[in-house]
Amino acid sequence: MDETDAELVNSVRRGDRRAAGRLLQRYLRAGRAVALAVTGVEADADDVCQDAFIVAIERIDDCRDPAKFGKWLLQIVRNRARNLVRADSGRRLVALGETTPAADSCPATRVERAELRERLLGALAQIPEQHREVVLLHDLEGWKHREIAERLGLPEGTVRSHLHHARRRLRRILKDGGTTDD
Amino acid sequence: MTDPERIDLSALDPARDSEQWSRLMETTRLRIEAILEGRTGAPGLLDVLAAWSRPILAAAAVLVLAFGLADAAIAAGGGALDAASGARRLAALSGNSLGRGLRPTGAELMVALGSRSAR
Repeated sequence: MDETDAELVNSVRRGDRRAAGRLLQRYLRAGRAVALAVTGVEADADDVCQDAFIVAIERIDDCRDPAKFGKWLLQIVRNRARNLVRADSGRRLVALGETTPAADSCPATRVERAELRERLLGALAQIPEQHREVVLLHDLEGWKHREIAERLGLPEGTVRSHLHHARRRLRRILKDGGTTDD
Repeated sequence: MTDPERIDLSALDPARDSEQWSRLMETTRLRIEAILEGRTGAPGLLDVLAAWSRPILAAAAVLVLAFGLADAAIAAGGGALDAASGARRLAALSGNSLGRGLRPTGAELMVALGSRSAR
């Protein structure tokens, strides 16, 4: 059976590297999804989630409720991502859709995938930040409503509602290929 | 995932470039290990002493404060006793003198006051 977050956090506090590795595997992707929801730039999301995770380990003693490590970590990610966006707002306006090309594909496929990523990021940019977080955590990371609710500090009904609206708008934007006023 | 409503966001999956994602995981793991180097499971002798030093110092500070306050209270109480006994001596002298129909002499007053200030 998987160790709980609280058990892993307490082990990390005693210097257990294996426990830190387990938390990394459990939360780095989710941290990236939240960072991507805020920054809209994949390379920035990679940097932010890595830095935030390292800060979280450095300050692990400040995590008041080890059972809520995920929520605490994602808040650190969100804060750092917002700071980055604020510090870099000029570049961000033109950076939307700036993507990291996959290394292991042929040029044509790479271009096609880059265009798809650009369309997805462009569509995501048109919905509220919290809706982006929910849809990325659910549809990309495969988290359940309850897990998202606990770790974003939202009621489960709100998560369901955000997901429903996010999907509806994304579908419409992607279908129309442009903006909507919905 | 079987959810038919799900939007296909797999193009944004960080693991699509598995090499880059593995590199990110690995560098993060190494940096975390460097941080955790400073944390060891079993505390050493110095850690134990350091852990004890703070409560001991705090207890010592409380004791010093308590002794200081008690000393000050005793000193203040002693002053009050001196004043009370001086007043009693003056009252006794006045009573005796009046009982004898005499005024207290300067020498008698000086003795009463002098014995108070001499303490």
